[in-house]
Amino acid sequence: MDEEKKENRRQFLAKGLMGGGLFASAVLLIKHGFDFIFPGDAEAKKRKLLVGKVDDIKVGEAKEVTYGENDLFLVRTDEGFKVFSAICTHLGCKIKWESYRNRFYCACHKGIFSANGEVISGPPPRPLDEFEVEIEGNLVYMWMNESNRGLS
Amino acid sequence: MGKIKNWFSERVPVDKDKTTQALQVLLKEPIPAHMKHWYYALGATTLILFIIQVVTGILLTFYYIPSPEMAYESVRYVTEEVKMGFYIRGVHRWGSNLMVIAIFLHMVRVFFTRAYRKPREINWVLGVLIFLSTLTLCFTGYSLVYNQLSYWAATVGTNMIKEIPLIGSAVLEAIRGGSEVTANTLTRFFNLHVIFMPAILFILLIVHLIFVRLHGVAKLEGYEHEEKSYPFYPEHFYHTLLIGLFLLTVLSALTIILPPGLGEPADPHVTPNHIKPEWYFYGIYALLNLLPLKLGIYLIIVFIIVGTFWPFIDEYVRVKYPSVKTHYFFGSICAVLFLFFTVYEMFV
Amino acid sequence: MAEHDSLKTQKMLVGIFSILLVVILIIIAGVEMKHSVEPQPIIEVSGLNERCVDCHTSKGVAVKAIDHWKQSMHAEQNISCIDCHSAEENDFDAFFCPESDIRVAKHPTPKDCAECHEQEVAEFAESKHAHQFWLLSNGDRAVFEFPIATRNGCEQCHNIGVTWPDGSVGECDACHAKHTFSKAVARQPETCGECHVGPDHPHIEIYLESKHGNIFRATEKNMDLAFNADDEDQIPIDVPVCTTCHMDSDGKQPTTHNVSARLAWESQAPWSFRTVWFEEKLGDWKMKRGRMESVCKSCHSPDFVDVYFLTADLVNLQYNEMRREFVYWTKKLTTAGIIDRLELDGKFYSDPVLNGWDENPEVEMYHSWHHEGRRFRHGAEMMGADYTQWHGIWELQHNMAEMITWAAEHGDAEAKKWVNSNHPGKFIPFALYDIPGNAWGISSHVNTTPFVYNNYPDYWERVYVNVEQAYKNGVLTDHQWQLWLDRYENREHYLGTKYTEANDSLYNIYKERNAKDTEAFTEEAVKLKLQGKRFWEY
Repeated sequence: MDEEKKENRRQFLAKGLMGGGLFASAVLLIKHGFDFIFPGDAEAKKRKLLVGKVDDIKVGEAKEVTYGENDLFLVRTDEGFKVFSAICTHLGCKIKWESYRNRFYCACHKGIFSANGEVISGPPPRPLDEFEVEIEGNLVYMWMNESNRGLS
Repeated sequence: MGKIKNWFSERVPVDKDKTTQALQVLLKEPIPAHMKHWYYALGATTLILFIIQVVTGILLTFYYIPSPEMAYESVRYVTEEVKMGFYIRGVHRWGSNLMVIAIFLHMVRVFFTRAYRKPREINWVLGVLIFLSTLTLCFTGYSLVYNQLSYWAATVGTNMIKEIPLIGSAVLEAIRGGSEVTANTLTRFFNLHVIFMPAILFILLIVHLIFVRLHGVAKLEGYEHEEKSYPFYPEHFYHTLLIGLFLLTVLSALTIILPPGLGEPADPHVTPNHIKPEWYFYGIYALLNLLPLKLGIYLIIVFIIVGTFWPFIDEYVRVKYPSVKTHYFFGSICAVLFLFFTVYEMFV
Repeated sequence: MAEHDSLKTQKMLVGIFSILLVVILIIIAGVEMKHSVEPQPIIEVSGLNERCVDCHTSKGVAVKAIDHWKQSMHAEQNISCIDCHSAEENDFDAFFCPESDIRVAKHPTPKDCAECHEQEVAEFAESKHAHQFWLLSNGDRAVFEFPIATRNGCEQCHNIGVTWPDGSVGECDACHAKHTFSKAVARQPETCGECHVGPDHPHIEIYLESKHGNIFRATEKNMDLAFNADDEDQIPIDVPVCTTCHMDSDGKQPTTHNVSARLAWESQAPWSFRTVWFEEKLGDWKMKRGRMESVCKSCHSPDFVDVYFLTADLVNLQYNEMRREFVYWTKKLTTAGIIDRLELDGKFYSDPVLNGWDENPEVEMYHSWHHEGRRFRHGAEMMGADYTQWHGIWELQHNMAEMITWAAEHGDAEAKKWVNSNHPGKFIPFALYDIPGNAWGISSHVNTTPFVYNNYPDYWERVYVNVEQAYKNGVLTDHQWQLWLDRYENREHYLGTKYTEANDSLYNIYKERNAKDTEAFTEEAVKLKLQGKRFWEY
């Protein structure tokens, strides 16, 4: 009887060892596979870019700047310098600066943003995308994520 | 539950009894007792490696870009930047090496036990074709990395094709997509490596396996009636599982110890000083170094033809000279020469 | 039962192997591949700059400049063409780019650079690089080196100190070659060597013949000179390049673009003197020497550095004593009317102690300052043994002998006395500085042979008073004077004379070998008489 019990226990042990080991290795293998398939965005590296000079733009003015594919607006408000994406947060049209009204206007669906990027009226769901700004002497820099293109 | 089951079996009308029967046949397949020796499991090893290669290969195509500008860079990207990229590539690379070894040993085993003997000659021919397909896969895969060695290996390797009588030039141009190694060559190699050759190899493997099952595993020559057999499941099943685990462990360990390298990017204007193919081509490489090109190529062609149709030749010789063990003689010479040249090239 | 057992073993094996695989897979997850390349940032050209780049590229004008710019840190931060080349209407260098309405500046000046690099430009302006000393000297060099020659000569190098019409000074791209403005290029010793080369100040040659330069050459392949020294806790390269000592941070002091901040001597000048350059800002010469020593002591022991610099300082002082001879003779000969200054309408175009051109003593005097005199001193300061010795003191002594001989030939009685004298001391008609021993080690025999040691028992007393006087004049520090005194008091040790007798047997081995050499060349060469007939007889 004891022998049989022992034998059963051994059988169980072998099965458990095999089952557990196989399960664990399968899980790890699949995890590694998933890691491979979803490489994630490479650590977003930030880069400092010159967007303008302080004495080039007066308070209440906005200047359109482009960097590569990015259309941007550099605005100087009472609070200081701001850089906004020129893309409407509604459906991706390019906004215009209306200096006489001190606001941004999107012609596609009549979205209106303030000089601070906030939605005044129209369908846009959120304020304009804003970038971090850094002033160094007379120079206005912005921080932009290094574009992630997978391979470069 | 029952409803879903019904709904399903109505739409997929599988005869339960028949499938169980078929499964039983597959699982109860009698395996000759000698197969319990590990040495007789090399066929299964090859099959497992093939599956590993397919899986890792599919994963690698997620990132690989077959263009001269991007090929090397994409391999570098996959190796250095994609999470687990070096692992997948490492397993794929080492898997190819182990697969060549496994097939080679499998063939040696079959050859010396004369398992190819009547009525299994056709399966030997299929096996040789599998071996050649695997080598083609290795060669094309190696070229896709597009580093200096692979670029020049592709150049030299394809140039050899030109020497094949009658069709050589045409085949060369078809493979290269022009008279030079260019972007066309790379995309063709890519196609050969990921679609054409794997498909061929897959079909060959299936047919090979069907033949094995149709004939049953060959029993040892001279012991045909004495040898006992045992069912495929469970014993041989665990056997195979164990081999699979062992292979994965070895491949993973190899990848840690010797991760896949990158080499210098291909430069069509500079031939490196020392170019050598992968080790399994050392035999051919040495032969071509020692002999005039034409003679070497002809010898290789003759060898391949003789090797492919060996079971028939063996049978023919056996009928004429029953006392001579031709296969020992021929096989030993080939094995010794192959080993000698491989080792020789490793150290030269 | 047996079959059962083997199945169980197999299951166990499968379990063991899968656990092994798990272990390896976990290790795999921790492995990271080394990156063989650094990802290059993507350079975008937009706005007005896109017009510049497109037009320049299509017309093929200075296209390489654009390529260079693309490699620069500027390009990475979107600092583009017009940010430096912008011009106002009345700027001295404003012009309209052909076929366009873009007004650009031809010469971006330090004023433009200062928009971002204010500190660097300010530091530079207070360095001797910015000093236009040649405009201030009391002789018109154009009488000798006429303008067209100086355009591509003097002016090319000395443009580093140009004073621009816009009020800024200097030429940043003299070192930070445009348009990469690469730090690595600026640090490459050959960048300094573009100007600090040749007979008047062979600094690149001195550097390359020194241990520093030699090790640099041997290891430069693996050296990345593009570092930002202020970001480093210590010097990040294994051997100094020019900027390491003269400009870069050593971890204890900040990087400076004032190359004069660490120099204690004006040893390029006709007379060596302790620098007073911007001392109210940079501190006195001791402060500047302290900065330099801090760099030296990053690698060398303090004692080595102190002895090395004290020795080099004494060489600088010794130079003055030789200079005194040249000034004495040229002045005397001028007063006597034996040599003349260049003169027209009452204005002199040469100076007897600086740059007289047409008579031998003037030329010797000029060379002995501007060429040999600097090589003697700068070789001593930067480990250029060959320059202190053969291109330095040897030439200086030769020049002096030539000058006095010329004076004798032209009737000067004192000079005739010098020429006719057989006394070995005639080459030292001046007082001497010295230091017992050197920084390299103790030689048990070298100081037993020279004439001055053996013939002047009061030699060290004579030297003592000179060094003491230098100390009292404030051109040596307290520490240096103590160091000198220590060597003076223990000079038996430092000169090695204490060990001479004990090492005589060692010395005699080589003495014997030398005798054999003498015998050999006497037999082989000196006594040889060829059989073949001569082609001309005296």
